[in-house]
Amino acid sequence: MTATFAGSPHSVADMSIVDIVSCGVFSAAGRGLAPLAEALVCGTTALPADAVEPDWPPVEVRPLGGFDPGALLGRKGLSRLTRTDQLAMAVCADALVGPGPTDTKPAYTDPAHTGIVLGTATGSTAAIVDFFRDTLEQARPYMVNPAHFPGTLMNSAAGKTAIRQGLTGLNATVSGGAMASMNALRYARSMLIEGRARRLVAGGVEELSLLAAWAWHRGLGLATRSALAEGGAMFALDAPGGKGPVLGRLLAGESSFSDPAKGLPVVSTQLAACVRTALEHSGLAPGDVSVIVPGAGGRRGWAAVEERALRAVFTGAAVPRLHTHHVLGETYSAGTALNLAALLAGWRQPAAESRADERHVAVLTSVGFDGSVGCLVVAHPDFT
Amino acid sequence: MPERAARRVVVTGLGAVSSLGLGVEALVAAVRAGRSGIGPVEQFDANGFDHTLAGEVRDFVADDHLLRTDPARWGRSGQFAAAAARMAVADAGADPRALSAGRTASCFGTTNGESQVMERLAAELVAHGPGAVRPELADQADAGRIATAVAAELDLGGEALTFGTACAAANYAIGYAFDLLRNGRTDAALCGGADASNRATHAGFHRLGALAQDVPRPFDEERDGIVTAEGGVALLLETLEAALARGARIYAEILGYGVTCDASHMTNPDTASIAECIRLAQRDAGIKPEEVDYICAHGTGTRANDSTEVAAVRAVFGDTPPPISSIKSMLGHTMGAASGFGALVSCAAVHEGFLPPNATLRTVDPQFGPGVDAVGSVARKAEVRIAQNHGFAFGGNNAITLFGKVTN
Repeated sequence: MTATFAGSPHSVADMSIVDIVSCGVFSAAGRGLAPLAEALVCGTTALPADAVEPDWPPVEVRPLGGFDPGALLGRKGLSRLTRTDQLAMAVCADALVGPGPTDTKPAYTDPAHTGIVLGTATGSTAAIVDFFRDTLEQARPYMVNPAHFPGTLMNSAAGKTAIRQGLTGLNATVSGGAMASMNALRYARSMLIEGRARRLVAGGVEELSLLAAWAWHRGLGLATRSALAEGGAMFALDAPGGKGPVLGRLLAGESSFSDPAKGLPVVSTQLAACVRTALEHSGLAPGDVSVIVPGAGGRRGWAAVEERALRAVFTGAAVPRLHTHHVLGETYSAGTALNLAALLAGWRQPAAESRADERHVAVLTSVGFDGSVGCLVVAHPDFT
Repeated sequence: MPERAARRVVVTGLGAVSSLGLGVEALVAAVRAGRSGIGPVEQFDANGFDHTLAGEVRDFVADDHLLRTDPARWGRSGQFAAAAARMAVADAGADPRALSAGRTASCFGTTNGESQVMERLAAELVAHGPGAVRPELADQADAGRIATAVAAELDLGGEALTFGTACAAANYAIGYAFDLLRNGRTDAALCGGADASNRATHAGFHRLGALAQDVPRPFDEERDGIVTAEGGVALLLETLEAALARGARIYAEILGYGVTCDASHMTNPDTASIAECIRLAQRDAGIKPEEVDYICAHGTGTRANDSTEVAAVRAVFGDTPPPISSIKSMLGHTMGAASGFGALVSCAAVHEGFLPPNATLRTVDPQFGPGVDAVGSVARKAEVRIAQNHGFAFGGNNAITLFGKVTN
């Protein structure tokens, strides 16, 4: 099997290639791909959280740029939406409708065959904690706000986004901690190949919350110079066989597991095997990879686990790494989706600004605290 | 549509941690007898609630079931899933070392993830402020750890994926595992669902006025709501070829599944969307409506669900739909595990030849119209060639799985 998809539209490989048609993204760099590409060069600003909000721990955060939920979504019913709901709705709208005339958007969306796949670790942590809090603090434990109940469910954001966009196709919410948005992209790819949807808007969002920030701080979870951040990215993915312009192509997605109790080197070995399998399924060899986007860099100790795996696979000439933490911060469940947005943002820059040999095939990896590992293989639109 | 690979997928092992007992034998015996698992709430302080019944798992000691991992690593949902998975492997007579050495996936569904962990985090926040959060507890909050708990406990190396599609989640997980096996992307899979009893879920349904006065009475004219419940359920899936090769007992073949999204309302069910979900599942399985012998209903016992579900069934099956029942009449609503328990009972119905009862049914709601064959309060002997298992959820997620006798 080879990756000759440009010239052989009916090959086996073709049926496993999913087109990335458009992207909606809100990050510390702002809204859309263009500011993200710019920030990859200049970085974004991290602020001490406790200087902004007195209850917050002394960690650094990268505030979300250009995100005004009222302006983006309308004021009606806004208070019933969790931060996670708002992010997903805005990000998905940008993926389907596009934030402006210069941005990518699919030409036409068939709502009956279009769906949503969202990755989230827990749903809205703030909404869940607040709801529990009400059951403890109200005069009677059931005197909770019923309008806030749906927001405590993990599938709240995907369900509300489907309502807003009128999308009745396959709708799924998947979890997996730091792997959640990678899981969403992998699962969406599988479902498109299965023929269970024609288009899926897939990715992940992450909200900053007080409790989570304290947990990161007290658990010493953040790597040195890593800042917490929020945001999200979702991509309109089309079933194999599409004809229109694309931002990139998803060639493979793999995931596996190794219990960290067996030792972190075993997790690295598992990730290395996962990358090799994904490349094999893409009909590619490690030498074909022009850029690697590691996902675990923001989490203390895990960058080493990931890097050990990458060095085991990529033994030849050094493959450039696209590091995104100075721009995106640690966005946990949204991490892989935002990393993919960063990759595509770079690819959309004029050719003069990036080396031609970096515009072929990218490998995106991530590692979860639980020992889950995963890998995506993404091809540049020009790659044949 | 892509061409279908030839691999057929069968269920060879079942495991359950339920209010009706531990293990498939205890659960199925209780279901056949129409027993109730509902009793006083014990998993949280029910003081101040007007409704204090739930379908909780009693006498579950995780240490008795988890052999490889320390149960303290997992929340209650993860413990349920891991214990149920252990039971499913033992029930299948499968070699755990072979599952561990091969490609075995873990796919589980949940509504509220590790809700008891969240509850403890919130209680400690109220008592001591956010700065006192225990990171080791927060580390257990990810819902994804449910599938991970299974993978770690059985030392699996395949992918571990947790679905958060609320009360349809186990069917999503089973469907995905089915796809993985059918396409040769995994050699075996543990799949199912898990959720734990907690005060937020109870309070939420309480406030919506959706809790029953005493017990849930699906399809009854006087049904008045759900009873919150908990549990964990696991199915071991293998290819038909592998199961035959090792001489395994086969409960049922998974024939196909379907999913739809209402995209209309977060909490009200939608007749057209459910009907479409039934059609998609039947098309996926390559079967006609008249081939279905039994519907294992979502059947929550709320007025809205049951009438919507019957209307959707009528839209597909016409005036003489197959017999229908809801095991929630006995288990209560086990949330993300619910459609997994439905799958387990559907497999048993196909394998043993019985229709599970609507244990609390007194009079079928006449508003459903004529021809609705709601099974009575005890199980009925019947050949079940194909069982259709419903799972619907807040958020508009519908998922239906189909189980059948293995035929040539």
